Amino acid sequence: MRFGLSRLSLLLLFPLFSLTGCEQPQVNFVFSEKTNELVPEAAKPVKEALVRQFGNPFELTQFEGLPTDFGDVEGSVKTVQSSSGDEKLIRFQVEGLQDAYPKLLGLPLEWTSGKGQGQISRIKEYNYETGTIAVDKTADIEPQPGDTFLVECTRLQFGRDLYNRHCMHCHGMSGEGTGPTSRYLNPPPRDFRQGIYKYTSTKPTAKAQNADLERTVKEGIAGTYMPSFKLLTEDEVSAIVNYVVWLSIRGETEKKIVDELFFDYSKEVVAERTSEDGGESREDVMEELKEYMELDFPDTLEFATSSVAEAWEEANMEDAVVVPETPRVPDTPESRERGRKLYLGDKTKCATCHGLQGRGNGTATQDFWTNPATNEKYPNRGLHDIWGNQLPPRDLHRGIYRGGRRPIDVYRRMYSGIKGTPMPAFGGPLSDEELWDLVNYVMSLPYSSK
Amino acid sequence: MGKGWCLFFLFWPVAAVVSCAMAPMVGWSFPYDNAQAASNLGIRIDGLFYLILLVTAVVFVGTQAVLVYALWRGSNNRDERATYTHGNHKLELIWSIIPGVILLFLALYQMNLWADFRIKKYFPEAAVKAPIAEVTARQFEWRFRYPAIGKKLQPKPQADDLYSVNELHVPFGKPVMIQLRSEDVQHSFFLPALRIKQDALPGLQIPVWFEANKEGVYDLVCAELCGWGHYKMKAHVIVESEADYQNYLKNLTQQQFYDGLGKIAANENDSESEATEK
Ligand SMILES: [Cu+2]
Repeated sequence: MRFGLSRLSLLLLFPLFSLTGCEQPQVNFVFSEKTNELVPEAAKPVKEALVRQFGNPFELTQFEGLPTDFGDVEGSVKTVQSSSGDEKLIRFQVEGLQDAYPKLLGLPLEWTSGKGQGQISRIKEYNYETGTIAVDKTADIEPQPGDTFLVECTRLQFGRDLYNRHCMHCHGMSGEGTGPTSRYLNPPPRDFRQGIYKYTSTKPTAKAQNADLERTVKEGIAGTYMPSFKLLTEDEVSAIVNYVVWLSIRGETEKKIVDELFFDYSKEVVAERTSEDGGESREDVMEELKEYMELDFPDTLEFATSSVAEAWEEANMEDAVVVPETPRVPDTPESRERGRKLYLGDKTKCATCHGLQGRGNGTATQDFWTNPATNEKYPNRGLHDIWGNQLPPRDLHRGIYRGGRRPIDVYRRMYSGIKGTPMPAFGGPLSDEELWDLVNYVMSLPYSSK
Repeated sequence: MGKGWCLFFLFWPVAAVVSCAMAPMVGWSFPYDNAQAASNLGIRIDGLFYLILLVTAVVFVGTQAVLVYALWRGSNNRDERATYTHGNHKLELIWSIIPGVILLFLALYQMNLWADFRIKKYFPEAAVKAPIAEVTARQFEWRFRYPAIGKKLQPKPQADDLYSVNELHVPFGKPVMIQLRSEDVQHSFFLPALRIKQDALPGLQIPVWFEANKEGVYDLVCAELCGWGHYKMKAHVIVESEADYQNYLKNLTQQQFYDGLGKIAANENDSESEATEK
């Protein structure tokens, strides 16, 4: 009987869960397909470097200089609870963590003063109400009232927990866009790992501002499956965005270093190089790879991470935002007519994609296009985005504005284009007045009789 | 056997009465203030609920009492034998007619309430004349479309309509009506505090009216299992004074027609505000 029931019922439940589709989502950060196409000798150091720099979902790390908020909080010991001799843990009451995220359990705690200075303890118990922490008892650590310490990663961890609750189901554990629900959605959830977001307030080449992503989380994206999370608090939304940006940076860093290695050390290339035509021996190639890993890889990694971090930092500067120089041109029939001419004209070629009537059925939807990443033609007619999805141009009569329906949103879509899609940026070629005329025309379409 | 069963069947009516009496004290009763609905119609619906509860309680307690009495007598009196009868016509009539009368009474008694709640002819006239917003349920959020200030809600979107999501503002002190739609599957517009519940069906526009009897922020949830994200389908209905409501609409108008220049008045409740963008 002791062996029996509980285990038996677990055994019986197992096929039940698999049958009813209660599938367990991926619980690790996944590496990109391209990383897995490298020869194992090249893939291994890449993966190791990523784990070193970013950790895993249970243990997040962050290297210095990232524009995301890792969330260090400082505290000090208030009182130490006397413990009996054979207890394995030291319990002490703390001050200063009142504003921290309530779940500090499992996080590293670094002693910044006292006997244990420089030592790291792991938090084994944490009671938010009483402010009691317990850590492993060791010879070096003997907390005294007044000793200070630092707990790392509270912000990122807070964001991770919220992300896993609200976003992971679609966007996936690593932000790769392949969560359990993703296969039922069209358009598919965004893959964050390219660091590109469609609807931003920033200049054409800039990344998204945190404020843009926060707005997307709060407002949702009309016409897609991205719902509004308006009932989350400001703090929760900003923690989620902090984590999403962090995931983006992780993915982009991986992409950058793999791109470096791919042309010489993908499985395919190595096979080619060591074939009869290639003429190199596998040993030679591996020797070269080893040398690269020792000499150049650290720099590559450093450059990849810092350039990605910098780009995100720049996007959050004030001058990254697109601000029109001219206020909206009054929405008159004349302005709309000027906009219509621009729409149909050669200067913009809007009609090529969006169609003469703005129904989203321009001639471009009938052509076979080339994938800029692979230089191969797409198998289907029509436009595609950089994530490889077929992308019909928007029907402008529907009155659904994914990037927001304010005139400024539509202006910015035209000024900066839609990032990651064939919608180009008209910020240079068109004057402010022309852009506003175009906005007025486009925004009048859903209410026109045609 | 015998006495144990008496106690067993005695326990249930006692437990039912005690738990019903205690429910409001321990927070197991109606949502919000445990008893008081936040709308006058809701209070009437609660009244109906209590009436039905009372009727069923009396019947339940009565039948249990008879059962306990019969068991008690049987277990104390081993000599008296049970006899078989082929039924009693009079008894059959009594226990058919009494429930029938009760049901008929309830059916007639609630008709006015039902009409006030669901039949458009009996809706408050002012609310019907000027629906406050169109509410579109969608997997998994609530989208709202208000007419421009001073205009009437049109069935089709207008260029100057105002939009928001997951946050419906309504003025206090008068009945309001919304037009309920669904964009995809079946949802249900549920305001637990006001005891309002109405399914939203694709292709239909269903009028729903309500009047909160106090200002406040009320939960709007979906009461129809509409997909995996059903539990996320939460919104707030904010009941505020007419002045605050007009202010909200003004703010929404400003934000909706924002052209990226200058500052717009930041509204605490509204994330559309560009003020965060510095
Ligand atoms: Cu629903």
